[in-house]
Amino acid sequence: MSKPIYEIVDELPTSGMTVTLLKSLDFVVPGQWQNITGFDNTIRTVTGETDEQIIQQIGERAIHLYNDKTQGYQTALWIYDAVGKGSGALGAAALANKFGENFSFLSFLSNLTPKADTAQAIDLSVKLVAEIVAYCKINGIPGDSIGEFVSALADYSGESLMRMAALVSVDALLPLGPDFIGKVSSTIGGLTPDELQKNQTFNQINNEIPGGDTSGKLGFIGESFRSVSDWMGSFVSSRNLTQESVASNLKRYIDITDNKLDYVSAFLDMTTNYYEHTGVQTLARRLTERAVAEI
Amino acid sequence: MLRLKSPNLLAFVFLPLVLFGAACYSNESNSRWANAQRESTQGTNSTATTTAPTQTQTAPNRPPRSNKPLAGGEFNKFFPAANENGYTRVASQEKEGFAEYKLKKDGKDVAMLAVTDTVTNPEAAAKFRESSRQINGYPAIEQGSTATAVLIDNRFQVKVLSRSPSFTKEDRETWLQKFNFAGIAGL
Repeated sequence: MSKPIYEIVDELPTSGMTVTLLKSLDFVVPGQWQNITGFDNTIRTVTGETDEQIIQQIGERAIHLYNDKTQGYQTALWIYDAVGKGSGALGAAALANKFGENFSFLSFLSNLTPKADTAQAIDLSVKLVAEIVAYCKINGIPGDSIGEFVSALADYSGESLMRMAALVSVDALLPLGPDFIGKVSSTIGGLTPDELQKNQTFNQINNEIPGGDTSGKLGFIGESFRSVSDWMGSFVSSRNLTQESVASNLKRYIDITDNKLDYVSAFLDMTTNYYEHTGVQTLARRLTERAVAEI
Repeated sequence: MLRLKSPNLLAFVFLPLVLFGAACYSNESNSRWANAQRESTQGTNSTATTTAPTQTQTAPNRPPRSNKPLAGGEFNKFFPAANENGYTRVASQEKEGFAEYKLKKDGKDVAMLAVTDTVTNPEAAAKFRESSRQINGYPAIEQGSTATAVLIDNRFQVKVLSRSPSFTKEDRETWLQKFNFAGIAGL
């Protein structure tokens, strides 16, 4: 049996590397993300409800909905979890969260290997596909509806918008530079299904990516990236995001050196899991919104 | 007197106590939800088959409805259009037996608008037995401090939930009246 949803939400950390990373990215989407943790607290925050009996009913309905596998919530959570682990070592992430904010980048440097641009490009585009698939599982739009997702992006807020901000900042801009859209487009365009199959992040969620065989999935990945490129491009330009601005804000919270940005990216990949953290928060919010409407 | 010479022995004695304490604390904090978890994971695992619905009342001259929830998309056309006086609506969720829109005013979330097929959750329909008033001819209730709901044809719940203090109980009733209740009753 999978872990109860209330335990998953109760166990969201209130400090540690992941939380620190997300706090440092507040400058990208000011005020959008609050670290809402705890099942009861999520219900209160999302609904504004104070009546304990109603809160109980909402929680119970949310638990029922989550445990019904046909509703897609468990799959969405699994996707956020799997893709968040990516190529980073989960053990290191757990370790870093234990040590908290004082965990030193420099002491970790000898254990880091920057990802090749190809691997980084695949990781980024697979994470984007994961967002589309998880969005559709949670909100109920058919699984390959890229168009619906792109229009929904315009209304992204809170933890969902923060997840996209982290994706663009930490998985795109920081490791690949200002021309990340061009780089990723040409990498994906020139990729063979065999090469895709060797990527760990792809393999983590392979079965949930629409498209049939690997070649079809590669097509879906490329189409997804193309469809979201405009949004990412204007996200970066409208917020004046640069590698330097991301790095300098990270430095305020995390002990890093900005002349080794590709190492910083590898470090964050190994020591944080912003995807799962904000993914659980998005799921808990949507589940609560549905439960309070249904009771 | 018992003397513990080895720190390992101390750990051996105290660790189980600590773990036992932690387990008790954890169980206590989770006890509020443990029953719901047990009920929804034992036996059948579908919200669609939780309790056999007993709703047999339907509008005159229409065949009885299926006991399966309608697709959420069936409800979309009965929601208020909402593009007036600075209000806009944004599709939020569309699942089996459920459709929900976010209502925004001047770009800010002010309310949620939802239609639910209560066939999977009969308790939701049962609460309307306590209703003492009607909106457009259908039983209505206040629920908690942020919601007002109407039950259509003893099966479909239409609900408006405030997401901002500026969106009052009166606003909720105004927006409930903008739904096409007759259309929903005809499903």
